[in-house]
Amino acid sequence: MANPPHFIGHRKSWNSWNTSTLKDALRPSQTAIEDVFIRKFVTGTWHALVCSEIIIKRQHNTIRIAALIRQAITPRKMYFLIGYTEELLSYWMQCPVTLELQTVGDRKDVVFKYI
Amino acid sequence: MSAGLTRLWERLPLKKQAAQSSIRVFSNQEQQQQPEVEDDEEFRVLSLRTVKQQFQRRQQVRRDPITPPRTGRMAVDQDWTAVWPGPRSFHPASVPLPLRQGFTERGAAAPSKFANAELMKIPNFLHLTPPAIRQQCEVIKRFCTPWPKGLETEAKWQRHFPVEVTTTDFCHSLPTIRNPEARRVTISLKLSDLKFDSHARDKFLRLVGDRYNKDTDILTFVTDRCPQKKQNYDYALYLLTACYHESFVTEPWEATKSEADMEVYLFERNQSKLSAEGILNWNAKEGAPKVAPSKSYANCVEQLINEGENEYNLGKYKEEVKKMLNIA
Repeated sequence: MANPPHFIGHRKSWNSWNTSTLKDALRPSQTAIEDVFIRKFVTGTWHALVCSEIIIKRQHNTIRIAALIRQAITPRKMYFLIGYTEELLSYWMQCPVTLELQTVGDRKDVVFKYI
Repeated sequence: MSAGLTRLWERLPLKKQAAQSSIRVFSNQEQQQQPEVEDDEEFRVLSLRTVKQQFQRRQQVRRDPITPPRTGRMAVDQDWTAVWPGPRSFHPASVPLPLRQGFTERGAAAPSKFANAELMKIPNFLHLTPPAIRQQCEVIKRFCTPWPKGLETEAKWQRHFPVEVTTTDFCHSLPTIRNPEARRVTISLKLSDLKFDSHARDKFLRLVGDRYNKDTDILTFVTDRCPQKKQNYDYALYLLTACYHESFVTEPWEATKSEADMEVYLFERNQSKLSAEGILNWNAKEGAPKVAPSKSYANCVEQLINEGENEYNLGKYKEEVKKMLNIA
């Protein structure tokens, strides 16, 4: 939403939600690297379709990935890609992965402000 | 060119089927291209030069109609727990609330719920509405047991369970459920719940050291040297038991405790007792019962020496001495 990073927590919130960022928490580096990998994989798999940041929420051992997707492919392909992404990511991360997508008709729908 | 051919090949079986059923299911666009393959008996002609007819109109991208958000069709008295059964990122088409979130420009309204990534980021509790919690409580109620009788108030259960055990469980968002910090076990109890004689109490306090808080009378053991919580709990209870029983053991060397080793002044084993007795039994006849200094005098002297000389203690000492010598 075109807010610089120091507004995180005021005007916008984090893209990764997990407990590794708390003080003295476990696996901070592994979680960060996994998040980078998930982001790269999702933007590549949903090529030119992701219109927003990829939001990764972790709860216990599940990972929920949310994003805004452009309605440029058929729903059938979209369902395939959802299953494909969930299956491969859950194999690599060794935990259940859920995709929670929203679709937008046009790329311009997610533009709120021109700087 | 070759692509056009393949497309024609693919269309062939379809066309036969259409001929058999004698129903034309093709769209106008496809009918225009048909003259080449109209007759099934003929071989198709491979024309190497581009003929105008072979140009295919660019296929229109067929788009499925986007269904409107289902919030518009939701009944007012619907079962919300069925709509939103578990934790999930926000979805505008499922939540019939005019929510807004985010910041764009100063003075402008926050963006609406559609295509709003900010609303997807923040955790929501739409699955934990009061009816949902009530439902879940109803379901798990059959696993509950009644509260034991006789333990209704805190005073009652503290009498039966004097030892308080504190452990910590950690919930992470990680593939592992282990946390090394969870091994720590703290047990605490009031020292007044243990029964001691004066020697055992003194020895116990020396054994536990600073684990005993004199102000609150609470004894605390923290154990973390074993890797598991259970092991640490067992070790803490072992420490408590061992210290308690050890404090009742009198070693032979404890009898050699001299006056210099005493941590408090005791009237009974000091010179002042002998002096007071000497004064009280002055010129007493042989065989007459010995007069002992009064209890209040003994307390007063102990207080004076243990707490130090202050106005109150000195005044009290003066009163006691006058009383003992019958001067007043």
